[in-house]
Amino acid sequence: MITFDKVTKKFPLGNTALCEVSFEIDDNQFVFLVGQSGAGKTSILKMITKELAPSSGTIIIDDMDITDKNFSQKINLRRKIGIIFQDFKILIDKNIFENIAVSLKVVGAEQSLIKSEVRRVLELVGLSKKEKVFPLQLSAGELQRVAIARAVIGDRNIILADEPTGNLDPKTSWDIMKIFKKLEGKRTIIFATHNTDIVNSFQKRVLVLKEGKIIKDLKKGGYEL
Amino acid sequence: MKEIWTSIRRTPYQSLSAFLILFFTLFLSLMLFVSLTFLYSSLNYLETKPQVTVYFQTKTPETQIFKVRDELMNSGKVLNIKYTNQNEAFNIYKQDNKDNPLLLEMVSADILPPSLEIYAKKPIFLPEIAEYLKKQGDIDEVQYEKNIVEKLLILTNTIRKTSLIFFSYLILMSIVVLTTTILFKIALKESEITLLRLIGATNFYIRKPYIMESLFLGISASILSFGIFVLLVLYLNPFLASYFKSISSLSVNVFNYPLIIWPLNYIFFTIVFVFSSVFGAVIASVASYIATNKYLTV
Repeated sequence: MITFDKVTKKFPLGNTALCEVSFEIDDNQFVFLVGQSGAGKTSILKMITKELAPSSGTIIIDDMDITDKNFSQKINLRRKIGIIFQDFKILIDKNIFENIAVSLKVVGAEQSLIKSEVRRVLELVGLSKKEKVFPLQLSAGELQRVAIARAVIGDRNIILADEPTGNLDPKTSWDIMKIFKKLEGKRTIIFATHNTDIVNSFQKRVLVLKEGKIIKDLKKGGYEL
Repeated sequence: MKEIWTSIRRTPYQSLSAFLILFFTLFLSLMLFVSLTFLYSSLNYLETKPQVTVYFQTKTPETQIFKVRDELMNSGKVLNIKYTNQNEAFNIYKQDNKDNPLLLEMVSADILPPSLEIYAKKPIFLPEIAEYLKKQGDIDEVQYEKNIVEKLLILTNTIRKTSLIFFSYLILMSIVVLTTTILFKIALKESEITLLRLIGATNFYIRKPYIMESLFLGISASILSFGIFVLLVLYLNPFLASYFKSISSLSVNVFNYPLIIWPLNYIFFTIVFVFSSVFGAVIASVASYIATNKYLTV
């Protein structure tokens, strides 16, 4: 479970990214974070991964209070989380297998487990035959599939997707969303986007952000920017 | 190994500059280390030689000689004194000139002076001992290698001080240049490091490839510098052999173990190689540690 309790984030120059934001996300729940650019979506995701520390308030993830600036379990926390970025963040000098395997290598998984798990997630994202291919040979949609595979492999039960379809054409975006559909109910997914079509078609919980505040918490989609 | 080689191939100029600076530092350090070792061992050698030899007049009674010997021994500045009476001096003379009967015929024990060979605890006591002896009666001659010892002492001290400064500068320069070079390489992989941090990689996991590559470059540079050093020594060996021909062996004390450095031997070379490799590895590791620190703050 992820709990934000009156979380505020102010930057040193005085601008406020989040203002007393509170919400709870249950295990395996699918939540859309929506709002215009600068509304605070990415700040929430960065606080979950402990890239940013709140100025005030409390953040609890799986019974771990991560609020403290000197939180010592940062590495363990991050090993529970898979992240999908708008710009994919694929390692161009590594092939697809290696790009996905890195997610398990950092936790010290055995080679045999890495092989079987990578093949399993490659199948999930529909790239079974491309494990030896290098990123420069793939399309944007395929690269995002690789990023999804890297995020969901292993025991990462929280998936943070930061505008994962932002750089993709509509058709490819829908292909990517099909993969998220497969993951629904199996992982906690927080999906930051401003694509209203996707949000409305999924009919999932929506947290609407505006100027650093949650202005709506919709249980089943139906939202307009 | 494959990853190290790939990384070197992808950034050949940065790798080459890191390698060259490491080679330069290690080669100069090696030469300094060996030169200092030879200087210290030469000083040790001179310290083990009779440092002051005093020749008494032939008529000097042994009681007078023993009185001087005892006073010197009680001064606390003398390690050992060897007394050679006229008969022993004559035996030595005979031995030294056994191939020259004419010289043997001309000399008898009566005309050879009795002597004391005095071994000082430290070379700096030599002038004091010599002065003391000159003031005694019945002295024919006082000999000691004043100039050689003093010059060697001054030279060793000067080289030790300058090499310490030079050494520190070399280490600092190498670390700064290596850190900058590695920073260039890391800058190309900044997004990869950020990603690794976000998916839960430990600092060691991220640092490992950079440290391994630096270690590889450090050890390669030490092997090359050692190889060139060996070739140089082999080339200079005839010169060294003639220079040290009167010295049977030179050694330095390493943890109370006398390490023989002349004649040149495998143990000394092995120690020099280990020193060079460890030094190269340490410099390279420290530089890569500092360089990676900058990118581990996410």
